[in-house]
Amino acid sequence: MTDKAAIRFQGARVVYPNGAVGLAGVDLDIKPGEFVVVVGSSGAGKSTLLRSVNGLTPLTSGSITVGGQPVPKKEGRELRRLRAGVGMIFQDFRITRRLSVMTNVLVGRVAHVPGWRAMLNLWPAADREIAFRALERVSIADKAWVRAGDLSGGQQQRVGIARALAQEPAIILADEPVASLDPVTTHQIMRDLVRINQELGITTLVNLHFLDLARRYGQRIIGLKAGELVYDGTADSVTQADFKNIYGRDPDAGDLLDESEAS
Amino acid sequence: MNEASRAAPGRPLRPARNWTLIIAAVGAVSLMTWWSARGIGFSLVELACNLPGGRRLLVESWPPDWSFFPRLLGPLLETLQIAVVGTVIGGILAIPIAVLAARNLTPGFLVWFVDRNFMNILRTLPDLFWAMLFAAAVGFGPIAGALALTVFTIAVISKLWSESLEAIDMAVPEAVRAAGGSWLAMLQFGAIPQALPHYVSYALYAFELNVRASMILGLVGAGGIGMVLETQRSTFEYPRVTLIVLSVLVLVLIIEKISESIRRRLV
Ligand SMILES: Nc1ncnc2c1ncn2[C@@H]1O[C@H](COP(=O)(O)OP(=O)(O)OP(=O)(O)O)[C@@H](O)[C@H]1O
Ligand SMILES: [Mg+2]
Repeated sequence: MTDKAAIRFQGARVVYPNGAVGLAGVDLDIKPGEFVVVVGSSGAGKSTLLRSVNGLTPLTSGSITVGGQPVPKKEGRELRRLRAGVGMIFQDFRITRRLSVMTNVLVGRVAHVPGWRAMLNLWPAADREIAFRALERVSIADKAWVRAGDLSGGQQQRVGIARALAQEPAIILADEPVASLDPVTTHQIMRDLVRINQELGITTLVNLHFLDLARRYGQRIIGLKAGELVYDGTADSVTQADFKNIYGRDPDAGDLLDESEAS
Repeated sequence: MNEASRAAPGRPLRPARNWTLIIAAVGAVSLMTWWSARGIGFSLVELACNLPGGRRLLVESWPPDWSFFPRLLGPLLETLQIAVVGTVIGGILAIPIAVLAARNLTPGFLVWFVDRNFMNILRTLPDLFWAMLFAAAVGFGPIAGALALTVFTIAVISKLWSESLEAIDMAVPEAVRAAGGSWLAMLQFGAIPQALPHYVSYALYAFELNVRASMILGLVGAGGIGMVLETQRSTFEYPRVTLIVLSVLVLVLIIEKISESIRRRLV
C-alpha cells in the first residue's frame, strides 16, 4: 500500500555527541518519484538529512519511514535490507580507486547476491548484466575494465552513480554530487540525475550548493537552516526573498554556479 | 630577548630551548651506557687485548671450503622452503588478526581487546622460543622451523598492517555500507584494497626476515642451513662455516633485491 519510494520524516531530530544539532525536528513528506533539491548554508543539516534516510546517521528522536518501514537505528540485517533499496552518491565519489570500474559498480549488487559469491568475485551473470546496464545509462560502459582511479572526476562520479543504479534502488540520495566538478561536467551530471529520475521514477534527493542549479534542476526545493525546515515549495515559485530567508543573507554571485564561472 | 625584538606583532614567539632537559637527557643516556657496559664487563682495553685471538679465528676461516658447497644446496633449499611455508601460512593468518585489531574496522571492543593482547603475546615471545616449543611438540626438523616462522610472521605482519588499516580513509567503506554491504563486503571492497600495497610490502619484509631467521632456528634443531652451520661450527670446520655464512649472505641479498623491485612496482 505504501510505495517503496516514499519517505516520511516525523519530528526527525539529530543531536551529535558533541552537542551539535544536525536536525532540529523535521517534518517532511516525500512522494514516490519526486526530484527534491535540498539547499541551505554550510552546517544547515543537509548531509544529516540525507544520511538519516539510510541510517548512516541515526536519529536521536522522532522517526523516518522509508516505504512505510521505520529506518532501523542499529546496524544489522534490517538496515542492510533497507539500504539495498537506497542508492547514495557522494561529493567525493567514494569509489575504490584501485579496483576496476566494473567491480566498483558491482558493489551496488553486494546486498543482492550471496556473500561467498561477492567474496570470490563470482558474480551471477544477471548481476553483471545489471551493472553493465547501469554503466551504459551514464555512458561509460567502455570504461568497465579500467582502474577506477584512472578516470577523470566527472567519470568517477558517473561510476558512483552507476553503483547507485546497480542497486536498482527506489530512492537515490545525492550529497552535493557536483561540488567537486567543473561547470560543464556539473551540468552533465545534473542532467543525468534528472533523466534517471524521469526514466526510472526513482525518488531523488539532491543536496546542492548553488542556487541557480537548485532552481534549474529541482522540481521541489527544500530549504534548511540550523537543522530546521524553513522552505518547502516548487522550484518555479521560489523567490529571492525565500533564498534570503534560507541563507540569512542576500544571495550573491558566489551562490550561483554560472555567475562564479563568469567572474 | 633578541627573539622578542625580532618578532612582528601577532606572530608567536619561538619557544626557548629547554637546556636543562637536554643536559639531563644526555647525562641520563651516558650514565645508563656506563652502567650497562660495566655490568656486562665490556671494556675497550680488554677488547684490544683479545684482538689477536679474533685475528687467528679469521685466518683459520679463510679461504672458504668451496668443495663443501654441493652439500649445502639441499639445506639452503630447505631453508627457503621453511621461509616460504612460514611466510605464506603466517601471512594468511595475519589478515583476520590485523583486521580485528584495527580500531576502525573491528566489530566490537571485546574482540579488539582479546586480539590486541593475543598479538602482543605473540610479539613478546622471541622466534627462538617458538622454535624450541614446536621442536618439542613435533620433533626437531623443518616442520618445527616452519611453524615457528608462521607465528613470527603473524606477529610481524599483523602489528604493522593493523596500523596501516587504522590509517585508511573510511569514506569508501562507508559507501559500501550505504549500498547495503555487510561487514565483510565493507572490508573487501572498501577497506582492504586501500591497504593492499602495505600488506604485500610487509609480507615481503617478513619473508626476508624469515630467510635470515631460519639460519638461527637451525641452531636449535629446526631444520635448514642453520643445522649444518651448527654441526660444522661445533667441529671447528671454520672454512666451511665461512662458506655457509657467505652463501646465506648471498641468498639474503638476492631475496632483498627481488622483493625491493616488487615493492617499488607497487607504489
Ligand atoms: N559527525 C559529526 N559529529 C559532530 N557534529 C557533526 C557531525 N556531522 C555534522 N555535524 C554538525 O551538524 C551540523 C549539520 O551538519 P551537516 O553536515 O548536516 O551540514 P551540511 O548542511 O551538510 O553542511 P555542508 O554544506 O557544509 O556540507 C553542523 O553544525 C555540523 O557541525
Ligand atoms: Mg554536507
